[in-house]
Amino acid sequence: MTYIGQSVKRLYDEKFVTGKSTYVDDISIPALYTAFVRSPYAHARIKKIDVTDALKVPGVVAVFTAKDINPMLRGGVRPWTTYLNLQSFRYVERKAFPEDKVRYVGEPVAMVLAVDKYSARDGVDKVTVDYEPLQPVLTMDEALKNQVIIHEELKTNIAYDIPLKAGDVDKAFKEADKVIPVEAINERLIPNPMEPRGIVARYEGGNLTVWYSTQVPHYMRSEFARIFGLHESKIRVIMPDVGGAFGSKVNLLAEELAVIGASIRLGRPVRWTATRSEEMLASNARHNEFRGEVAVKNDGKILGIRGKLVLDFGAYVTITGGVQSAIIPMMITGPYDIRNAEVESIAVYTNTPPITMYRGASRPEATFIIERIVSTVADELGLDDVTIRERNLATQLPYTNPFGIRYDSGDYVGLLKKAVEKLGYYDLKKWAEEERKKGHIVGVGMAYYVEIASFGPWEYAEIRVDENGDVLVLTGTTPHGQGSDTGLAQIVADALQIDISKVRVVWGDTDQVPMSMGTYGSRSITIGGSAALIAANKVLEDMKKVAAQIWNADVQEVQYSNGVFTHRADPNKKLTWDEVARAAYSKHEPGIKESAIYESDVTSPYGVHVAVVEIDENSGIARVLEYRAYDDIGQVINPALAEGQIHGGAMQAVGQALYEQAVITESGALGVTYADYFIPTMVEAPKYVSVFADTPHFSPYPTKSKGVGEAALIVGPAVIVRAVEDAVKARFNRTPIKPEEILNALKLKK
Amino acid sequence: MLKVYLFIQYKYYKHVYPPDFAYYIPNSIYEAVDFLGRYDNARPLAGGQSLLPMLKLRLLNVDYIVDLNPLKELDYVSLNKDYMEIGALTRYYEVLKSSIVNEKLPLLSMVIRKVGDMQVRNMGTIAGSLANADPASDTCAVTLVFDADIVTTSSSGNRVIKARDFFKGPFTTALAKDEIVTAIRYPILEGYKFNFVKVVRRAGDYPLVSVAVAVKLKDGVIEDLRLGYAGVSQTPYRPFEVEKSFIGKSLKDSIEDIVSKVVEGVNPPSDTRGSSSYRKEVMRNVTRKALREVMG
Amino acid sequence: MGVLANKGEKVKVRVRVNGVWYERYVSPRMLLVDFLRDELGLTGTKVGCDTTTCGACTVIMNGRSVKSCTVLAVQANGADILTIEGLAQDSKLHPIQQAFMDNFALQCGYCTPGMIMQTYFLLKENPNPTEEEIRDGLHGNICRCTGYQNIINAVKDAAGRMRS
Repeated sequence: MTYIGQSVKRLYDEKFVTGKSTYVDDISIPALYTAFVRSPYAHARIKKIDVTDALKVPGVVAVFTAKDINPMLRGGVRPWTTYLNLQSFRYVERKAFPEDKVRYVGEPVAMVLAVDKYSARDGVDKVTVDYEPLQPVLTMDEALKNQVIIHEELKTNIAYDIPLKAGDVDKAFKEADKVIPVEAINERLIPNPMEPRGIVARYEGGNLTVWYSTQVPHYMRSEFARIFGLHESKIRVIMPDVGGAFGSKVNLLAEELAVIGASIRLGRPVRWTATRSEEMLASNARHNEFRGEVAVKNDGKILGIRGKLVLDFGAYVTITGGVQSAIIPMMITGPYDIRNAEVESIAVYTNTPPITMYRGASRPEATFIIERIVSTVADELGLDDVTIRERNLATQLPYTNPFGIRYDSGDYVGLLKKAVEKLGYYDLKKWAEEERKKGHIVGVGMAYYVEIASFGPWEYAEIRVDENGDVLVLTGTTPHGQGSDTGLAQIVADALQIDISKVRVVWGDTDQVPMSMGTYGSRSITIGGSAALIAANKVLEDMKKVAAQIWNADVQEVQYSNGVFTHRADPNKKLTWDEVARAAYSKHEPGIKESAIYESDVTSPYGVHVAVVEIDENSGIARVLEYRAYDDIGQVINPALAEGQIHGGAMQAVGQALYEQAVITESGALGVTYADYFIPTMVEAPKYVSVFADTPHFSPYPTKSKGVGEAALIVGPAVIVRAVEDAVKARFNRTPIKPEEILNALKLKK
Repeated sequence: MLKVYLFIQYKYYKHVYPPDFAYYIPNSIYEAVDFLGRYDNARPLAGGQSLLPMLKLRLLNVDYIVDLNPLKELDYVSLNKDYMEIGALTRYYEVLKSSIVNEKLPLLSMVIRKVGDMQVRNMGTIAGSLANADPASDTCAVTLVFDADIVTTSSSGNRVIKARDFFKGPFTTALAKDEIVTAIRYPILEGYKFNFVKVVRRAGDYPLVSVAVAVKLKDGVIEDLRLGYAGVSQTPYRPFEVEKSFIGKSLKDSIEDIVSKVVEGVNPPSDTRGSSSYRKEVMRNVTRKALREVMG
Repeated sequence: MGVLANKGEKVKVRVRVNGVWYERYVSPRMLLVDFLRDELGLTGTKVGCDTTTCGACTVIMNGRSVKSCTVLAVQANGADILTIEGLAQDSKLHPIQQAFMDNFALQCGYCTPGMIMQTYFLLKENPNPTEEEIRDGLHGNICRCTGYQNIINAVKDAAGRMRS
């Protein structure tokens, strides 16, 4: 192995640092620009839409509403059939525009198409819509009352209601020495990739081409086919450079259906790039509340958990909104050996922007809940954070949790001890204690996580060797910042024992890559890499066969090492990789090309993270000074890239724990600018230390890796909240913790 | 940088492109103010770092933009006998670069070093911030601490408005329709001690609360006390009466009294950054911190 | 008398971008970033927010960094502008570009052009910044991917390369 395990520099950076990257808005094409007329009401009946004046605005080409576009659609947005059972949800498929009433502030009701983006906006100002305002349902509590129904067809606001139960929960609570109430709440977040989403649709001669800022081009191709009634063979989805997504771009918007519909109707290319405000409306995340109780023995052993999880779906079901309601309950026991658990998971519709998944999608919520539980129990029983975890962690790996999720490998207690030592946890604790004596409000917190990563059900890879011996890797994964493309090249270069400069990785074009799932759920390196590795091994076998043919030898007689094929019996016979590749194309042979599908379920990375916070006594504003991570992610393919994932996830964890909250006003409007939503800047960034287990536990995937894309945002909020608790000596069960709450808690202590 | 007022904004959040406007390039200050007088909905443009974000979100109804940028004669810093004059088109960047400003107006430097971010300071101007009169602007608050002379020009000539008479309400000033700020004269406060404490939710954001302090002491006794706050009121805030009531008293012994009195006259806004009562609490805390630090 | 362009009228803008003079007639309301991207086809400069917060659109105008989403194209008349496309000389990367690549200072790459242009200005003003000065100089540029540490390292690295 020469590349795996090395911090190989990212292969495709140059275009990004020289301004030659091409995101969807950078594509040069003679397309009409779209701007949307949006509802100022959270809930209102649409009485009349008058577009007459808008059509008079210079540059405006057309104005479309529901009556123009919706009839073209045979269906609408629905849950993610790859992972979700449609029967589990009550929903109405969302079309391009609402026909009867608007259901959140900002919902599009009409589109203006114009020759430039300025006149498109001028046109929007000239569309008049008459609304009859209705009572909005803005909170989950209101929604549960079912007094005002958001989707009349469903006759209820409850979108999902499935209880999960395992073990003998009643018995656990009977046998408990103590029953402790627990609460864990995540406010609404906005993923906010830096590139606002965008789409260009071109419909010509029955063929639809869509340039699309997405994580899942093939899934979207089949959705477009279903919704517009087109053959998939007539649709090409191209994912250009994508400027971050964090799960939020596995998301098909009503606006995007409208853009495609308009391009089909007009027979012209149509484009739309979300403004930041529109991006913030397009994808909200989290927003759920767990309330329950936990049965414990006095020695800290947790016997059982029961409670109720209420989640917000916003106004419409999205592709990924249901992921949280379905998966959070199944992960609620975390890495601990807790056999008795009962969780009712209820998701509701509200008159707010729709909810999607966001980095970690369900594991951050589950981890926050279980880590709040464990730390709360520790406090109530007077145990420290390490001891309580040591007493409850699962010890027999593989371990199947009470809801059937299998954690494949690891040493949970061993890692806890190692992490505490390597991250200097107790030293930090001691330091904080000393600092507090001097009057500095500082705190140190830790939390543990196990997650499920590298989601199946499968991924595709194809490898072609051209006549010069250069290697093209087509991956079904869709890197958009992670650098996993470089990781895949490392895996392939090692498997083929060739220089990495000979390898190029391509992805994201449905006409180039035959099939794919995409990039999300920390899956690219592990499941995508495994498919690539299998394809590479097949390619190497093919190359050996070609060498054998040249020598008239049996393939068993061909050896290969570092770019050179040799004959086992005749050491004088040597062929280079490039010579064999060229031979593969001679004599009318079609060259070398292999593809592979790797099928799997999930694997389970785990680890311990530690944060140090400092609090300004004048304002209660907390700042994370340091963030340290110790993770067992199996085989590390590229340490620098893996660390980058920890850094970025931890920064988002800082945001979730202390800064970011999507505010919904009393009228139901979302705060939609960076002046209302506090994305951390460089000033708020902690210093990070990222350590990977020196004796990792491999996954059963051929790459032996596990996945690292989401770990820090999965565990980080719990870590940082615990550090704030240590500093303030008060309990916080809700993210973000606001400075005001901290200042109030500090005052109470005085 | 823009402080967005949620409730105004929601009606318009679909936009990031300014509405169409007519554009006027004057040859002189006189032409600029003459134009402003003759046309309705006309706004002068200096650095544009407040005006353009508002135009982009279409928060303002503007038909004419009068671009002051070609009026290079407004770009200067000059030291006079007992005041420093800063031209209306002098960018924050240049003010910060000026060694005489740093030497003679250390408080001003301290405050504007924290305005927005580097890019915003490269374009933005003090005069623009004053004319915008955002109640959360530190520039307005510190100008009030100096009680600077704001020099203006209109069709009817020049006048000087004291900073204390300049701010009339949120985004509202004493400027007439055809009147622009042409310079600000900051008095050189000799023998003062200065401090500036700013609490921000996130770097570059407008302050939750900030306080700029100038205090003149003789043997620990207050000869003059000036406190300028941003983010706590409808306008930049100076508790003139409170300041006056402590003249002649020992600063050391008065800090807690000052802290409890400064909040009496204000009713801070509530927003995503914090509630009104929280802002008051922070206001007390930063006042205490600023004054303690001044004493050394 | 001054010059008035009425609503709907276009104004001549003459501007030197990356060493080349361009002349275009544009609506006065056109933002500099749209001028660069849509009129000149220089799409390296990105748009990330609506509120002058994120810095993705940072370019150098007359030697100083500005957020080109908060400057009118007409304000740039006569100006000398440097964008990310003009930073590399004769296809040789600028040390800042090289340092960003070498330090894993980008992930999705969207904030990168603005981040690099702001670094360019910061290092011009302060060739040897401390970590705190870097944070203070770059907080007008938001990155959602990297967590910033590698960017800070890249800026330090670039500063070193440029001094030597």
